[in-house]
Amino acid sequence: MTLDFVPRTAILEEIDRQVPDHHLFRFRLPNAFPIAPGQFAELTIPGIGGFAVSTAAFAAGPLFHACIRRIGRVTDALYRLPLGARVGLRGPFGKGFPLEEFLGRDVLLIAGGLGMAPLRALLQALVARRGEIGRLSLLYGAHDPRVILFKDELNALARQGLLDLHYTVDFAAEIPWRIGGIACQVGLLPQLLDTVRLRPERTVAAVCGPPGLYRCVLDELAGFGLAEEAIFASLERRMRCGIGQCCHCAVAGVYVCRDGPVFSLAQLRRMEGAI
Amino acid sequence: MKSFGVGNGFGEALLAILQSRGRVFGPIRGADGICRLGPLTRWTSLCADPPYLPPKKYLFPPRERLWSLMADEYRRNGRPEEAMALVGLAPCDLRAIDYLDRVFADDPHYQERRRRTLLVGIACVPREECACRVGDYPPGDLFLADDRLWCGSMQGEDLVAQLRPVLGDEQDRPLPPREFVGRPQENGRLLAAFARSAGAPLWARIAQGCLSCGACSAVCPTCTCYDIVDEVLPGKAPERFRTWDNCFFSSFALVAGGHNFHRERAERLRFRFEHKFFGFGPLRGETSCVGCGRCARACPVGISLEEIRQTLLRESSR
Ligand SMILES: Cc1cc2nc3c(=O)[nH]c(=O)nc-3n(C[C@H](O)[C@H](O)[C@H](O)COP(=O)(O)OP(=O)(O)OC[C@H]3O[C@@H](n4cnc5c(N)ncnc54)[C@H](O)[C@@H]3O)c2cc1C
Ligand code: SF4
Ligand code: SF4
Ligand code: FES
Repeated sequence: MTLDFVPRTAILEEIDRQVPDHHLFRFRLPNAFPIAPGQFAELTIPGIGGFAVSTAAFAAGPLFHACIRRIGRVTDALYRLPLGARVGLRGPFGKGFPLEEFLGRDVLLIAGGLGMAPLRALLQALVARRGEIGRLSLLYGAHDPRVILFKDELNALARQGLLDLHYTVDFAAEIPWRIGGIACQVGLLPQLLDTVRLRPERTVAAVCGPPGLYRCVLDELAGFGLAEEAIFASLERRMRCGIGQCCHCAVAGVYVCRDGPVFSLAQLRRMEGAI
Repeated sequence: MKSFGVGNGFGEALLAILQSRGRVFGPIRGADGICRLGPLTRWTSLCADPPYLPPKKYLFPPRERLWSLMADEYRRNGRPEEAMALVGLAPCDLRAIDYLDRVFADDPHYQERRRRTLLVGIACVPREECACRVGDYPPGDLFLADDRLWCGSMQGEDLVAQLRPVLGDEQDRPLPPREFVGRPQENGRLLAAFARSAGAPLWARIAQGCLSCGACSAVCPTCTCYDIVDEVLPGKAPERFRTWDNCFFSSFALVAGGHNFHRERAERLRFRFEHKFFGFGPLRGETSCVGCGRCARACPVGISLEEIRQTLLRESSR
């Protein structure tokens, strides 16, 4: 492996502005950019900086889709770019979700906030092979109803009977709340766990969200009887190089950027300080 | 191993050859009495003390350009690296370079520089504060010990061929045993003690005085954490640099939104200890601390990894 720091040029082609400060960006590259659900890339705004960002879509070809939260200096600069602007793209980096582990099983996806972005890519990959998996459920918790991402497409999947969908929000003006006809609870994500009917011995789970979510949800899933090898989580860290060199993302001797960011709970148990 | 007697004039002759192919750096005592690496102009000014800063800066500069964006194209530095020789390096610094070679095995920037660098090692006299972990002789092109010169590589042989007129008898013999053989590693026991010490008061107690100044990592011959920064100056092309970073800085593991994965100084101290003694990624299991003692000497509050290592082992044997 040669470690190259030189990005490819990509063109900002489309912006979906439905959710404030959580826009969905589409970039076009000169050639194919094969990035799998759970893998990430580094997006460079020339002269400003770069940051790690997961693929938000399961797509082949010369496109990169990312749902990017406006949160700081570099992401803010991205939000000011006009369509047609040129950015830099490095990657793909890391290991994504092991798709083959999901086939032939029930699948439970748990998304907290922006964690929905990488899980949307996984969900699309699973829907593409919907016939090969059992029950498919998504528990999705957001801060408030306005920042629920991809709600039209999620609701459409639910209405077609392809997805068992449950929302929860931390805050809502009135209770109970409905989002596009789908019931939405007010409360924390782990409470939703009681609403799905789990067949633990045949379920694979994928969890993505802020660090606080992992501390409670992963143990709870294991408590339901899911095998620790069948619970996957994607870790966030400060990532600078993406290639296992700069040491920023190291935990328990493992470079999250290279060997992750997706790990099974069985692996995480052996990594002190990971969750 | 091929070795040669060295007589009068050998050093100046070697220096002249090295200078004819590129820049030459070695440990030299400055006017302030401190030994530092710098341009070597006379063989006799070589100093036997360990240089205050290790040779890492020549191979992994504190700040280096990764690319610039010109006419919509990302371009790597086109400038070829100059040839260079690092002379008078003690075994610990040579061992450290051997470790850097592995950390940056796939890094084009490091490797281009490294390919054009000759290493001339020299036997050392161990000092009080050394915690030497270097048992054997690390790789280098030439090595000087006991008034003899040993060849360690093909490039070393080429130099010897040019030096032949000022060299004495040729003998095939091993390098002399190291006077000061590496301290026992006890890595298995140390790792077990380390794993058990998560959250132990030891770390908070020692880290309490830490100023998060980063001196320890800056002077360490094997610390290589880096940050990536972009710059654009008026009228110039945007550029990206990598610059030395420091795992003791509180921003090291801070992510957007304010979560910090190394919030406490104790966590940061433990992180550095882990990196030095157990390694990360493909180098897990390798000790990168060569025991040069620089970090303890540079630390304004006297924190010493060697002391922590001994404390961990002591507490684990109780
Ligand atoms: C594997 C991975 C996947 C991610 N996927 C997404 C995604 O799909 N959508 C999304 O919006 N965000 C994602 N992030 C987080 C995103 O990288 C940060 O939000 C981003 O770096 C913020 O940049 P900023 O300069 O705007 O923020 P600031 O807070 O201004 O950042 C300041 C500095 O800290 C650095 N920094 C802050 N957080 C991080 C971080 N996590 N990693 C590296 N450097 C950081 C920035 O590079 C910058 O130099 C992901 C992070 C990781 C590690
Ligand atoms: S003694 Fe300190 S400075 Fe020297 S190699 Fe070990 S950690 Fe680095
Ligand atoms: S040199 Fe000492 S005070 Fe400074 S960061 Fe290192 S351990 Fe802390
Ligand atoms: S991001 Fe640099 S080592 Fe992982």
